[in-house]
Amino acid sequence: MKVVLRILERLWLPVVLIAVWWVVSENAKSVFFPPLSRIMEVMVKDFQSGVLGAHVMASVGNLFAGLGIAIVVGIVVGIILGETPKLRETVDPLIHFFRAVPQSALVPLIIGAMGMGSAPKVFTIAFACVWPIILNTIDGVRSVEPGVRQMSLAYRVPARLHFTRVLLPSSLPQIVAGVRVALPIAVVVMVVSELFAAEQGIGFYILQSSSLFLLAQAWAGAILVGVLGYALSELFNLFERRLLAWHYRSNNPTAARSATTSKRK
Amino acid sequence: MSEVSTATAGRTLSVRGLGKSYGTGADENWIIRNLDLEVPPGEFVSIVGPSGVGKTTLLRSLSGLVPPTEGGVFIDGDELRAPHPEIGVVFQDYSRSLLPWMTTVENVAFPLQGKGVGKAERLGIAERNLAAVGLGGKGNLYAWEMSGGMQQRVAIARALAYDSKILLMDEPFASVDAQTRLDLEDLVVDLHTNLGVTIILVTHDIDEAVYLADRVVVIAERPAHVVDEIHTGFGSHRDQVETRSDPRFAEARGRILTLLRSGVAAITQSVAQP
Repeated sequence: MKVVLRILERLWLPVVLIAVWWVVSENAKSVFFPPLSRIMEVMVKDFQSGVLGAHVMASVGNLFAGLGIAIVVGIVVGIILGETPKLRETVDPLIHFFRAVPQSALVPLIIGAMGMGSAPKVFTIAFACVWPIILNTIDGVRSVEPGVRQMSLAYRVPARLHFTRVLLPSSLPQIVAGVRVALPIAVVVMVVSELFAAEQGIGFYILQSSSLFLLAQAWAGAILVGVLGYALSELFNLFERRLLAWHYRSNNPTAARSATTSKRK
Repeated sequence: MSEVSTATAGRTLSVRGLGKSYGTGADENWIIRNLDLEVPPGEFVSIVGPSGVGKTTLLRSLSGLVPPTEGGVFIDGDELRAPHPEIGVVFQDYSRSLLPWMTTVENVAFPLQGKGVGKAERLGIAERNLAAVGLGGKGNLYAWEMSGGMQQRVAIARALAYDSKILLMDEPFASVDAQTRLDLEDLVVDLHTNLGVTIILVTHDIDEAVYLADRVVVIAERPAHVVDEIHTGFGSHRDQVETRSDPRFAEARGRILTLLRSGVAAITQSVAQP
């Protein structure tokens, strides 16, 4: 019962907006703004035929591959740069430059250079997402308490153990924040990458539908992207709360106890 | 395996002509200079001096965390160039030296992982040492679920579990309340008596220095050096009421206080006449 109430509390506004959209668009005559009922109809139809499912799978596959590469590379590079001030000073302007470049602008270039297939798409997603993760990891590593480092030195903690059990967990809150920034970038670049030299993916589905003047299908694709982004962000919240439970609770020990007993969110 | 890790063969720590400075040339600032000290195995030495005299720098030199500028620190005659596997350090800032993503027992066991001790064994050692500091059964708590006094006990348990022959403590009770402080002092006295481990404790609190130690080493003036040594002669027995009203306690306390005051006067003078 409580769970239902909480879901309602969270979702009432989107539900109301969808209902309003549904009713208002029902008798729409414009080709560009088809009724929502029509959009849902084609979405269900294309899912049933397996067409849309395949596109979504292709997109999500690229998204996770690109994001995964960005996370691994971003953390490793970030920790190395965070620990070596000289190197960091040298490459710092470069990182900020690449961070500032609108990643969608690079997509046609990269795909032009690397050609068709999913590899260049995965690469563009990874390339776009890696910068905020690097920057946040650097911040995380630099803000490790001197007392923690001293303990590690005094007790002769070997380098490998120091990285995995001290530096990494200590910078995890910032790393996670970096990944959170990268998440919507990944979705945007995923779609944009499928507008160039693509044969599958949600972006390709949208582009193809609109060029065939199947605007309900194009709308269906756009809505799916939004749903995908939202689902991803919610999934990440769950993951984050689990991964950083110690962090939230150590910063607020009294709330922590009530949270574990009554499962308050 | 005994109940807790005990110091089987002690180590002698010697400090010879130790000097530590920061900066170079005209800006060179000596924190410590010409400091000599010899601590035989099993002794409890407290180093007392006014705030800002360089006690923490001294302790960091003794632990091998900072290299000396002159002279050196020797363990059984071997020069100390890096942290030593038989020296455990208890830091003043316990809340920062305990890792918040590990439980208490994991924190205590963690340094042993670096020593290559297997998981089951190191957790067992950690549990035994937690029991030795009065925290038996609390291993699954996180440090931030504990009071300051309990956290400092965990830090002490970690130093003991490391199988330290020498325990270095940097103002370990500076940030706990008075009652907890007395309890922790007695805990350290008991651990020293039972385990025979060498303890070098740095403090600015004269009463604490006299109460705990076999020998009080007084350091004063910039750069820091040893100005006096007092053997307390209380033996292994301590009692918060009895010991503190012992005439020897009052005498030692008075002597140190006088020394430190004249030291402060000397510092003020040297500042007044550049």
